[in-house]
Amino acid sequence: MSTLAAARARRSPWRVTRRVLLRKPGRVIGLAIIVFFTLMAIAGPMLYPGQLAVDPDNIYASPSGAHWLGTDFAGSDVLQEVIVGARYVLLTAAISALVTAALGTTIGLVAGYHRGFTDSSLMRVTDFVLTIPGFPLLVVLSTIWNFGRPLEMGLVLGVTGWGGVARAVRSQTLSLRERGFLEAARGLGLSNTHIIVRELLPNIAPYVAMNLLLSVIGFIGAEVALFFLGVVPFTSSNWGVMLNEAVFAGGAINSPQALSYLLAPLVCILLLTLGIVLFLDAIDELFNPRLRERS
Amino acid sequence: MNRHTWVTAPVAALAVTAMLAACSTDNKAADGGAVYTTISGTNPITAGAPMNPFNASGNYFLGYNTMQLGFDKLNPADPNDFFPGLAKSWTATPTSLTVQLQDKAKWSDGSDVTPDDVKTSLAIALTQGSATVGAGFLTQGLDVGAVKTVDAHTVEIDQAVGGKNINFTRLVLKQTIVPTKVYGSLVPADIWDTIAASQGSDATAAQAAIDKLNATGKTISAFAPQTDVSAGPFVLTRVNPGSAVLDRNKYFYDLPKISPKQVVLRHYSGNEQIWGYMKNGELDSAPYTSIPTNVLDEILKAGNKRVDSLHYVNAAIAFNESVAPYDKTAVRQALAYVIDRKAVTKVGEPVGGTASTHLTGMIEQATANWLTPDQVNALNPYEPDTAKAETLLKGVGFTKNGDQWMLPDGKPWTITLQTVNGFSDWIAASTVIANELTSFGIPTKPALTADFATYKTEMAAGKYAVGFWLTALGPQASAAYQRLYGADNGFSMRGATVAHVSGKGSGNWQNTPETYTVGGNTVKVGELTAQLSALAPADQKPIIQQLAIATNQELPVIPIWDYTSVQFTNDKRFTNFPQQGQDALLNNPPGVWMMQGYVQGKQ
Amino acid sequence: MKGFLRRLLMKLIAGLVMVWVVATFTFVLVHSLPGNPGDIEYDRLIMQGTPPEIAQAKAAVVAGFTSHEPLLQQYFGYLGQLLHGNLGVSISYSGVPVADVIASAAPWTVLPVLSGLVVSFIIGVAGGVIAAVKRSTRWGGLLTLSGSLMAGIPSFVLALLLAFLFHTLWQILPYGDTSDVTLTPGFNGPYIGSVITHAVLPVSTYALLTYGGWLLTMKSSVVSVLGDDFILAAELRGISPVTRMRYIARNAILPLFTVLAISVGYMFGGSVLIEDIFDYPGLGNLLLHSIGRRDYPLMGGAFLLITVAIILANILAELLYSVIDPRVRRA
Repeated sequence: MSTLAAARARRSPWRVTRRVLLRKPGRVIGLAIIVFFTLMAIAGPMLYPGQLAVDPDNIYASPSGAHWLGTDFAGSDVLQEVIVGARYVLLTAAISALVTAALGTTIGLVAGYHRGFTDSSLMRVTDFVLTIPGFPLLVVLSTIWNFGRPLEMGLVLGVTGWGGVARAVRSQTLSLRERGFLEAARGLGLSNTHIIVRELLPNIAPYVAMNLLLSVIGFIGAEVALFFLGVVPFTSSNWGVMLNEAVFAGGAINSPQALSYLLAPLVCILLLTLGIVLFLDAIDELFNPRLRERS
Repeated sequence: MNRHTWVTAPVAALAVTAMLAACSTDNKAADGGAVYTTISGTNPITAGAPMNPFNASGNYFLGYNTMQLGFDKLNPADPNDFFPGLAKSWTATPTSLTVQLQDKAKWSDGSDVTPDDVKTSLAIALTQGSATVGAGFLTQGLDVGAVKTVDAHTVEIDQAVGGKNINFTRLVLKQTIVPTKVYGSLVPADIWDTIAASQGSDATAAQAAIDKLNATGKTISAFAPQTDVSAGPFVLTRVNPGSAVLDRNKYFYDLPKISPKQVVLRHYSGNEQIWGYMKNGELDSAPYTSIPTNVLDEILKAGNKRVDSLHYVNAAIAFNESVAPYDKTAVRQALAYVIDRKAVTKVGEPVGGTASTHLTGMIEQATANWLTPDQVNALNPYEPDTAKAETLLKGVGFTKNGDQWMLPDGKPWTITLQTVNGFSDWIAASTVIANELTSFGIPTKPALTADFATYKTEMAAGKYAVGFWLTALGPQASAAYQRLYGADNGFSMRGATVAHVSGKGSGNWQNTPETYTVGGNTVKVGELTAQLSALAPADQKPIIQQLAIATNQELPVIPIWDYTSVQFTNDKRFTNFPQQGQDALLNNPPGVWMMQGYVQGKQ
Repeated sequence: MKGFLRRLLMKLIAGLVMVWVVATFTFVLVHSLPGNPGDIEYDRLIMQGTPPEIAQAKAAVVAGFTSHEPLLQQYFGYLGQLLHGNLGVSISYSGVPVADVIASAAPWTVLPVLSGLVVSFIIGVAGGVIAAVKRSTRWGGLLTLSGSLMAGIPSFVLALLLAFLFHTLWQILPYGDTSDVTLTPGFNGPYIGSVITHAVLPVSTYALLTYGGWLLTMKSSVVSVLGDDFILAAELRGISPVTRMRYIARNAILPLFTVLAISVGYMFGGSVLIEDIFDYPGLGNLLLHSIGRRDYPLMGGAFLLITVAIILANILAELLYSVIDPRVRRA
């Protein structure tokens, strides 16, 4: 045991990460995809500032040298639209992930650590959040409150989506609670806040991180779905808007001309999902040393 | 098939058994012969809704199993011009209408259609909201005072005492006629006394009577008849989740004209499904849908024939003139010069739209009908001309700072162009308009509202300065101008006087001036519009001309395109469809075409 | 047994409280929507080309079904009706009871969802066992990846993709509608066949969406059971592989009941998108319809039904869990 710990201490976190990452080529690909889309989200709108050019004489053009992915209903370049639209999708997902992490972790930690009345009342709230059917709720909310912008959309998704994380964090906290180091901390008379923030949080963090990456996939799906359904007002185009226009206005299911307009955002969402799933495998191994040692 | 099938089949079979139980199990299939398949543009088929024409989601199909005394030809020159329906002919006096029913008119159970059925139906019509004072609308309602049986096939319908509604004929002919034996029991015996009370001069008694009528109306509209009893060419056999099936009514008064043995009306939830059906050649005719060019090509390739007809609707950009700078006529005119309506139409409504040319608040055809050629030529066509726009703006104190226009108070001018989710043509158009305005120097952003209900609520509350709106509703010019100088503009008619309101909660969001000055004359737009509804078409002309010219000058809205009704017919199974130009027919559902002797099966 | 009944009772009470909370929440929610049913009906008719005076009259009838009482009074009225099992009458269906409207839509959600769940359960559990046993091989890895991917793909993306591949590209499966309309519904071969072929795409979508959950849970469950001492002991004592597999399966399948509860809930909520894409006249489409028409009672009813399904699925899952797992039963 002592040699093992010593061996582990010798390895720097970066080297471990690299080793874990490089063990399977899929993980590198996953990371590459995530980095690619993140760059797209950051740099995309800078590449094409201002409004997208329209060209009423060149509607639903096929892919060509000038328009690699063809054009849309207004003659705008589909590639540009996909690139510019990435920011909304990823920014929203990032915001909602942050909100979920903050709410879910806090509530889960507090509930799991304090138990008793705090626990049961917080868990009833969590049950409520989990029970309300999420997507239909979002559809209704979108009519009441205009959350077309990333910040608002991210907040709404986060506020309605933290239930799963809270429940998971709570059960993890419950099991950690009985471990020796917490008993020791309590014995030393350390404050609850100290124990929760300094002792529990670091142990839970990896677990939260994994749950978050998973929920990011869900958030991307939900936000794009709302636009696809055409219930959320929008001020600029994004992947969901593109899908909506392609299917309901462009007849992409019936006409091959609008096909690249349909497939471009669809493939982006699929790729991004694939990237996260592949990369998650690496995270899983990093944070679950049991897996690492075994294989 | 593929490998998905064998996995799903056993489970799905289980599902089917249960679904069948949910369906009506009337197994009376048509015994051979042609089946006419189409879509009812006004009724997407609602499984679970009653077969009741008074239900808001009801499964009833005008011209097939739902009959009126006549069918509207949408003739702008004569609002009372109708195709015969259950009425063979009719004669009107200023205060009454005498209707001659079809000699052989029968219900699908073999019994006669009688004057009593007409009486019951008109009483029901008065329970269906028609008896309420049409708040905010400058037209008169269906004020039936009495229905008298003259003989077995003749019925006289009188206006309420004092009523002289010139549209009375039209309103009566458009009412749905239902059988007394099905609906009669829902109508209280003293209903005509209640109706009389509702039209009386005692306001309290009238309101009480109207409440009573509305209560009856609710019972009637929730009623679900067990079977369909139809006097039309078809009778509803069953409603599946995805379609309504109607079989030919062997008691129909003009049976020889009806060629299809069966009509199948398919369900749809969006345009893209209708396109799909057409692309597969599954429809014999299809109603108007907003369509992109690429889909049009696919539909034509599948052997469908395009038939265009007039559509009395225009898509326009409306202003809230209580918001600066849109209160300035020069600003609205300048915007009209900047927006290239042809380019916008090409993106927004490439197939079913024609760019507006004369901007009179009516559709192009109506402008040409009502105005003299000289008057039409004198109208400002607002051809795209940014130089003129610049002059106009500079004339009212706007300045240009680099590429960007500044308001007279020195602040930069930006526009939020409001549209609404689900109106893909408006959304597409707004991206082009935003581009044009932005490159002219007014940074413009299209913005969307979640749904039409919210859009209308917020618009009425004055929340949007610039937004899309439907105008030029027709075919009557009075309806078109009420859209501009009616309730949304604070005008309402009570008897002979016109009231005007503005401010919060008034419903007035257009906020135009009450009068315009045109060629040195004062034009009272609200009053003129109110007068239109009480005048015979021949007397409307001078007023319409004034309104058209004033609207063209002042531009309370900037019309972008007139909609064209683009329908499709497919002659694979049937021939002799109405042709382009037969607008009166094309504006009615195919059931009416058949009654008029059109649509024969191919042998 | 007595303890079991008491637990069941407690759970049911907790469930009822949750139903009340949700009913209150949705009541407030739906009534804060802007717009009202009468105006919507008017605009809908105007856009269909109905003359203004007729549209006005018809809209007035619809508005007549909207309650104009103060909201608090409406709320207590609503709760009172709910206690009597009455969901009220629909506005957009002009007074047809909400229960009837929902009943006619429910089969088109419940049956495809259940069919999808059964299919995905069979494939997912089998896949999970294989993925666990072969977890160190390439195929095992791919199988696990397929599960993670399927669990991650947004439902409507999958639905669109299937529709595009099988309908537009290869043209082997119908899309939209529930059956071929030229056929007579009834217990006849062609109609049943038609309903089945029309159900293939939606059911496959539901199945693929839940497949990942089953597979991943089953895999990790089997992996952890494989490491348990008693399995090791059984192997050492020479108990036959078949019997050992039975032990493993019995113990490994337990966590799946939690997944079941989540799946059922998810699918009722997620059916909105899938039904919209495949034009299935189920609860999801009904909910969209009711939102668009501001049909408050219908919205409330549809929401409540979906929520009750989730709550019941949760209770059922917990009960099953306690019946099957001796450890929980004794605790």
